[in-house]
Amino acid sequence: MSEASGSIEKPNPIRETIIYIIMVTVAVTTVGPFLIMLSVSFTENIRFIIFPVKLIPEPFTLENFQTLFRNTNALRWLFNSVYVALISTLGGVITSSMAGYAFARGDFWGKNVIFTLFLGILMMPDTALIVPQFVVLSRLDLVNTYTALIGPWFASIFGTFLMRQAYLSIPRDYDDAATIDGANLWQNWWNVLMPQVKPAMATLAVLRFMGNWNSFFYPMIVTTKSDMRTLTVGLGTVARAGGDAGLDMAGAVVGFLPTLLVFILMQRYIIRGISLSGVKG
Amino acid sequence: MAIARPSQSSTSQFLKRLRRSLPWYPFIIVNIVVFVVFNLVPWISMFRFSVLETDLLSTREFIGMGHFVNMLTDAKLHKALLNTVWFTIMYIPLLVALSLGAAVLVNRPLRGMMAFRSLYFLPNITSVAVLALVFRRFFSPRPDGPINFLIGLVGIPPQKWLIDVNQAMPSIVGISLWEAFGYFMVIWLAGLQGIPNELYDAAKVDGANGWRLHRYVTIPLLRPTAAFIIVIATIGGLQVFGSIYILTGGGPVNATTTVVYHIYNEAINFGHFGYASALSILFFIMILIVALIQSKYLRFGEDVY
Repeated sequence: MSEASGSIEKPNPIRETIIYIIMVTVAVTTVGPFLIMLSVSFTENIRFIIFPVKLIPEPFTLENFQTLFRNTNALRWLFNSVYVALISTLGGVITSSMAGYAFARGDFWGKNVIFTLFLGILMMPDTALIVPQFVVLSRLDLVNTYTALIGPWFASIFGTFLMRQAYLSIPRDYDDAATIDGANLWQNWWNVLMPQVKPAMATLAVLRFMGNWNSFFYPMIVTTKSDMRTLTVGLGTVARAGGDAGLDMAGAVVGFLPTLLVFILMQRYIIRGISLSGVKG
Repeated sequence: MAIARPSQSSTSQFLKRLRRSLPWYPFIIVNIVVFVVFNLVPWISMFRFSVLETDLLSTREFIGMGHFVNMLTDAKLHKALLNTVWFTIMYIPLLVALSLGAAVLVNRPLRGMMAFRSLYFLPNITSVAVLALVFRRFFSPRPDGPINFLIGLVGIPPQKWLIDVNQAMPSIVGISLWEAFGYFMVIWLAGLQGIPNELYDAAKVDGANGWRLHRYVTIPLLRPTAAFIIVIATIGGLQVFGSIYILTGGGPVNATTTVVYHIYNEAINFGHFGYASALSILFFIMILIVALIQSKYLRFGEDVY
C-alpha cells in the first residue's frame, strides 16, 4: 500500500466525511441498478420502470420468470451457455497449460517463430476478424454448431503466455529430478510441474469462464437459430423485442446471477488476473 | 569428400534436432490447429474476399480494388468513422479520469475498502445483454423513467436519451463508462501499489509533501500504467458493439453507427461479404495506426526507474 501523505498529515474529519460520502454515492450508482433489476423482476404486471420505485415488491411474484421460461427459449439458452462455457474453459485451460509448458521448457524447431506469431495475434483486435470467421465457418458448414461456439475458445494465447510465465518461475531442479527418476515429458508436466501452477490455472479458468459467458458479438454472428443461441445472445433478442419491464428484468437476473456467483466465489482470482495482464502488459 | 562432410554433418545435426523437437509438438498441436482454423484461414479469406463481390451464395465476381474505391463515396462509412471518433473522444478521457479517481479513493488502508472495490467492480462482471436490458429501461424517454426522474430532482427537464440523435451516443458512452471504470480501477490500483514506499520516504526526506509528493513520485511512476490503460481502453472502445446493437441498432438516423456496426450491417443484414471484408481490413489498419501512434507518443513500456 502506498499510503503516502496520510502518515504525516493529521486526518481531517471534514475531508474524511466528504470522501466517504463520495465513495458511498459511487457504490450506490454501481449497485443500485442491480437492486432495482432484482426488485422489478419480482413485481407483478410491470410494463415500465417508474421512479420512485418500490425496492420490496408487493405482492411478491415469480410470474415474470414463469413467462420468461415459457415464452422464450431461455432454458435452452441457459443450457447452451453452461455447456459452452464449461467446455471452453476446461479446454482452454488445459491446452494453455500444455503449450505454456512447451514454450517454457521445450527446445523445439520453430519455437521462437511460433511464439512471435502468437504474440502478434494477441495484439490483434478480434472484432476485425469476426466477419471473416463467419465466412470461413459458413463454408465449413459450421454455423449453428457447438464446434463454432467453442472452437476459438479451445486455445488461448493469453493463457499460453500466462502459463509460460508460471512454469518459468519453477526452478529447473524439479525437471532434472523428475528426469533422473525416469519421468517423460508428459509425466513431468502432469505430475511434477502442474501441481505447482494451480493458482495460475485457477486465475485463467475464471477469466476464461467469465469471458466466454459474457461474449456477445462472436456467438451472435455464428448462431442464427434460436436453439443454438447462448444466454447472452438470447437475452439480447429479448431486449430488442421490447416486452414488459418485468420480463426484461427477469431475463437480466437470470443472465446476471451465474456471473455474480462466480465473482463472489472467485473474486481473488479475477482481480489477480486483471492485475497480471495490466502490469505485465 | 571433404566438401560433402559439412553438409552431411549439418543434415545429421538437423535430424538430431528434429528428434529432440518431436516430443514437444503434441503439447502445442491444439493451439496450432485452433490458430490455423480460427485465425490464419479467416485472415487469408479476409484478403481474398476483399477483392470479390459476393453474398456467399450465388454472386461471386472479381472487382479488384473496387471496394476500397467505393469506401471513398460511402457516406454511411464516413458517418460511422466520425461516430467512432466521437465515441472515443468522449469515452477515453472520462474513463481514465473516473477509473483513476476511483482507484485513489479506494487505495487507502481503511476498513471496508475491499468491499468498496468489489462494489465498484460489480458492473464489469456482467454481460452486455444484462447491461442493455437494464439500461434500456433506465434511459426510458418517459418523464417518470429512472434517469429522467433523477435529473428532474435537480431541475433538468426530461430528455429523449437513446432515441435522440444528439443524446444517443453520449448515453452509450455513459453506459460503457459505468461498466468499464471498475476494471481499469483494478489496473490503476496494481500500478499504485507497485510504487515502493521507500520512494515516498525518500521524497519526504527531500522535503516533498502533500500534492508535491504526488507530482514528483506518484504521477511519473504511474506513467507506464497510464499508457497501458489508454492504449487498451482505446482499442477496446473502438470495438464497442453489443450495447449499440441491442440499445440503438445503430440509430437513430445512424447516430450510433460505428465502424464495427457498419461492418456487421453490411455483412449480416445486406449480405455484402466482400465489402465487409474490405471494411474489416480498413478497421484493422485503423486500430493498428492508433495503437502505434499511442505507443510511440506515450512511450509505452519505457522504464521509468
